[in-house]
Amino acid sequence: MPPLRKVLVANRGEIAVRVIRTCRDMGIATVAVYSDVDRTAMHVRLADEAYPIGTAPPGDSYLRIDRIVEVARRTGCDAIHPGYGFLAENAEFAQAVAGAGLLFVGPPAAVQRSLGSKTEARRIAAKAGVPVAEGTMDPVTDVAEARRAGERIGYPLLLKPAGGGGGKGMRIVRSANELADAWRGATGEATTAFGAPALLIERYIEHGRHIEMQILADERGDVVWLGERDCSIQRRHQKLIEETPGPSVDDALRARLGDAAVRIARAAGYRNAGTCEFLVAPDGGFVFLEVNTRLQVEHPVTEMVTGLDLVALQLRIAAGEPLPFRQDEITRRGAAIECRITAEDPANGFLPAGGLVDQVRLPSGPGVRVDSALEPATWVPNEYDPLIAKVITYGRDRSEAIARMRRALAEAIVGGVPTTIPFHAQVLAEPDFVAGRYDTGYIAQHASVSRMELDEGQALAAAIAAVLAARWRALRHVAPDGAMGPWAAAAREGALRESVCGQRRRPQGDRREE
Amino acid sequence: MRYEVDAGGHRVRIEASPDGRMLVDGRVVAYDAREIVAGRHWSLVIEGRAHEVVVLGGEPPTLLGGPARMRVDGREAVVIASDERTLAARRDRALAGGGRHEIRAPMPGLLKAVHVREGDVVERNDALATLEAMKMENELRAPARSKVQRLAATAGAKIESGSLIAVLVDEPA
Repeated sequence: MPPLRKVLVANRGEIAVRVIRTCRDMGIATVAVYSDVDRTAMHVRLADEAYPIGTAPPGDSYLRIDRIVEVARRTGCDAIHPGYGFLAENAEFAQAVAGAGLLFVGPPAAVQRSLGSKTEARRIAAKAGVPVAEGTMDPVTDVAEARRAGERIGYPLLLKPAGGGGGKGMRIVRSANELADAWRGATGEATTAFGAPALLIERYIEHGRHIEMQILADERGDVVWLGERDCSIQRRHQKLIEETPGPSVDDALRARLGDAAVRIARAAGYRNAGTCEFLVAPDGGFVFLEVNTRLQVEHPVTEMVTGLDLVALQLRIAAGEPLPFRQDEITRRGAAIECRITAEDPANGFLPAGGLVDQVRLPSGPGVRVDSALEPATWVPNEYDPLIAKVITYGRDRSEAIARMRRALAEAIVGGVPTTIPFHAQVLAEPDFVAGRYDTGYIAQHASVSRMELDEGQALAAAIAAVLAARWRALRHVAPDGAMGPWAAAAREGALRESVCGQRRRPQGDRREE
Repeated sequence: MRYEVDAGGHRVRIEASPDGRMLVDGRVVAYDAREIVAGRHWSLVIEGRAHEVVVLGGEPPTLLGGPARMRVDGREAVVIASDERTLAARRDRALAGGGRHEIRAPMPGLLKAVHVREGDVVERNDALATLEAMKMENELRAPARSKVQRLAATAGAKIESGSLIAVLVDEPA
């Protein structure tokens, strides 16, 4: 099969930029698509070609299969990379891409369909000899039926939408009298996110760790695993921090998880990159959760320790190339952590808050990688996922990766919208996290992780800056010539002489000491 | 001009003279402030120690009387600066508005549900309404035990950031 020459990237934000970068590395031309609020977004500027596909709501742009396929066909693309989210796990899309004579960078529609159905995925895993959680095999659609299932399975229960992943619409139910409330919330979110109120009910494993295994499968059906990621630091089932190796995973558990993932992939006829998610109990026993049939948000941590470019491998596999290595040729070195920086306010219940990012300083230096589409004056639209940057650090071992992450987070500046940066800084300093003692209940148990308080010197710096800012505002509001009284005039004169603006023109090193 | 600044829980009293000198608790502080971004970002060297201060607010902040979110050497804190006038105004407001809570939308979105009716008595942290934004459902909760005096929005409405959803008044236990 000939190598790819041109690829359409059917996504936006940091992942579109991420995919475009690898295409550049490989000499592949790129086509971006954008909604009208994204006309000036970074992915549009970095691509070779760019085409509008509709208005801001995803349903009129990034989810428009017809328009995206049409752009790919008209521009002579060989393939479409879906990124994650939007159409990445939509079997109809994969089918439409193939139907237009283009390559879909991901598993084919049939595989997406079977693994996209959580009930079918469970059957495949069980048949492949991989343990699955006790629960309903078929989606439940009414609360009375849910109540009966709850009595049969036993509490605590986990409710999750049958139609999709990403943590939306999931609820833990600890007793029968919590069920009605949880049911209402979960079905509401499931309907909004996936268009169907159907939920699966399964036994919830207390103190479980969410550990996933990255796999790659080529068109001949060869499958390898690349290592695990511990994604247990979650809030409302949304991942916040991911790392590899998992602090609780030893070589034996890693091999068992890898083997389970490969067996599921083989049984499903899997192709391209994918991730098998497991819930691991404190005793090392595990159950299969689901397969994400796409590139994961947190794929960079695996890239850091394996030295591989997963997007490049995805593109090569899609073009028909065999896997370039065998299982025993894959090596992992060191440790990597990812912190997801989102435009959400951790001080206010993680309320999402898009807006204009007016200041940006992204961290860099030894062992630091940042995947983002952020620049000063970037508009973060409310219509899309609030993820704005991923900070990934690498170290020889976990403690070096943590130290580098602390340094990176302290260097990062994102002004204009609230972000999760201070939250991550707190977790990275919290003793249980630092010791690797955590499970999916971590955030709930550490709800009041102590804030990094200002010390006295920092408080003084903040206070002086606040006074300077107040005076700066006052200066800009003094009326021009003659309209001010003698007091105001004197103040302005003095302030101008001494204000920060004035100081800028002073020679360097002129320290004020009185 | 005298200022009182609450910087992440530290109370700092500053007297700024027109010539730019600053007295902190009566002591002159040797500082060197350089503006990196006008009104938003400073490098300060205070008695040899280097600090970086960034205002993270969306609008150029007034920084008088209202809270501003600041980042100081990588740590975030809420900073409230008041001059003599704003301190006096705040005292007056607190006296006049005691016990009344305006519940406003913290962001634009769709008001999915309203869980209370006018006249209902709610406890602190009870859910008043569900606001959906950025694919997430967010509960708006009661700040204190109170009675719902007025509902200003109905379920299904598209809500602008800051728009009034309900007015509560404190209800004795």
